Amino acid sequence: MTTSASAWPTRPQIRVRTYGITLALVAFTVFAARKVGFSPSTFWEVWSNPLWEKFWPIPWEWVLDGDNVIKPLIETFQIAVLSTIVGCSLALPISFAMSPLTTPNQPTYLVSRAVMNVVRAVPDLFWAKLLVTAIGIGAFAGTWALSVFSLAIMVKLFSETIDNADSGPLEAARAAGGRHTPVVRTGVFPGVFPAYVSYALYVFELNIRASVVLGLVGAGGIGRVLEAQRQFFKFDRILGILVLIFVVVWVVDHVSVALRKRLV
Amino acid sequence: MIRLQNVSVTYPGGVEALRGVDLSVGEGEFVVIVGLSGAGKSTLLRVLNGLVPATSGSVIVDGTEVVGASAATLRRVRSRIGMIFQTFNLVHRTTVVNNVLMGRLSRVSPWRSTLGLWPAGDREAAMVALERVGIVEKAYVRASDLSGGQQQRVGIARALAQEPSLMLADEPVASLDPVTSRQVMGDLRRINEELGITTVVNLHFLDLAREYAQRLIGLRDGVLIYDGDIAKVDDDTFQEIYGRAITADDLLAVGEEPASPNGD
Repeated sequence: MTTSASAWPTRPQIRVRTYGITLALVAFTVFAARKVGFSPSTFWEVWSNPLWEKFWPIPWEWVLDGDNVIKPLIETFQIAVLSTIVGCSLALPISFAMSPLTTPNQPTYLVSRAVMNVVRAVPDLFWAKLLVTAIGIGAFAGTWALSVFSLAIMVKLFSETIDNADSGPLEAARAAGGRHTPVVRTGVFPGVFPAYVSYALYVFELNIRASVVLGLVGAGGIGRVLEAQRQFFKFDRILGILVLIFVVVWVVDHVSVALRKRLV
Repeated sequence: MIRLQNVSVTYPGGVEALRGVDLSVGEGEFVVIVGLSGAGKSTLLRVLNGLVPATSGSVIVDGTEVVGASAATLRRVRSRIGMIFQTFNLVHRTTVVNNVLMGRLSRVSPWRSTLGLWPAGDREAAMVALERVGIVEKAYVRASDLSGGQQQRVGIARALAQEPSLMLADEPVASLDPVTSRQVMGDLRRINEELGITTVVNLHFLDLAREYAQRLIGLRDGVLIYDGDIAKVDDDTFQEIYGRAITADDLLAVGEEPASPNGD
């Protein structure tokens, strides 16, 4: 409290709160672990289970025989490609309608927001089950379910990018006397298009993985084979299938990341 | 050409940007508006093309009432008014010629401009506009690869592509260095003289205003407090508009002799 120091502002007191939040998080983690019976020892118990020995050796002649795994895997890939295209195409106009910057009018804005909130609120696995029930087991239901899933993610990511777009060119296009759609198309779209392609590739990555999961509930593709083998306890085949899925996911991820790097 | 009667603008939130402005500008005039930032210069320009709606009063441009006009009428009025911006408002991720084509939005059918299928005649008009500002060789360069001065010329070309009868320039040189500033002001002046386009420019550099204006308008706190021939303007006029003594910051002061430094 000497000289001019008394005139300096006091440092804001954030410490107590920060400690409090950290402590609360630790306490909650411990509480949750107790509640679900989680402990490191249970983890080791799982690993010492004799089940794991049944995964070896991989029966490669069965795994690599065209109809068994390769064909359903290609189907999974097709589901992912198709649903990415359908979902992302639908997401394009909806995203522009949902952003305050580019929405044509208030009713369109409110309705598109409300509809997308409902779509997002339904989990993707539930969408798959619903569609399998509605249109039958198979790749068709899977494609629809994943299209909805893609749409939900894409709209979320892309509309937020549009929110943050530069409004300057938009003002210029409006000042030139353009109609709404061409104004958005020429003033905003070129700026956000690279982000759109980048997100579409990311959604495709997610779809490859998600289409495996959706297969488990009867929506076609490799997931169905995986589930069938599990029911017959053919764990060695399952490991073989997982290796192939890993290869596909790995390749898709790397190609996608490489492409996205060049875009942004 | 322009007739404003008792125009006031109050923004949501209560800021009064313009208060009871009366102004008329004749065909082919070159008018410069000066005033401190926040004096209402930008608002005055935007009231002319309806980007900012006047709260009360009457704004007649080219024989059409802008206040309360329908969307279609506003588009028609705007199609005849070119606008140039302080931050250029170009779409950075696309080519120069695509930016200039935005000036043709009001003449091309919405579906053609949305799909990017610009008619040959409009592409030609865009090239002619670029030729007029001397950067036609940059037509297929990305806008972001140009220097600031070149970008503002693209902005001018975009406005010229509208074949306007009125040109509005909102602080067109505030983001440019002194030498480029004079080039851009020279372009505007030349266009005004050669094509007879009525021009209204916002400036905050007083020496530039004195050098290029035919007629000077002074705004202070949203009130029009000076309107007269530039030849009659002296330092007292500027002091009255600014409400304080003129400082070096108010001058661009490069090139020719700076506007008589006022000693006090």
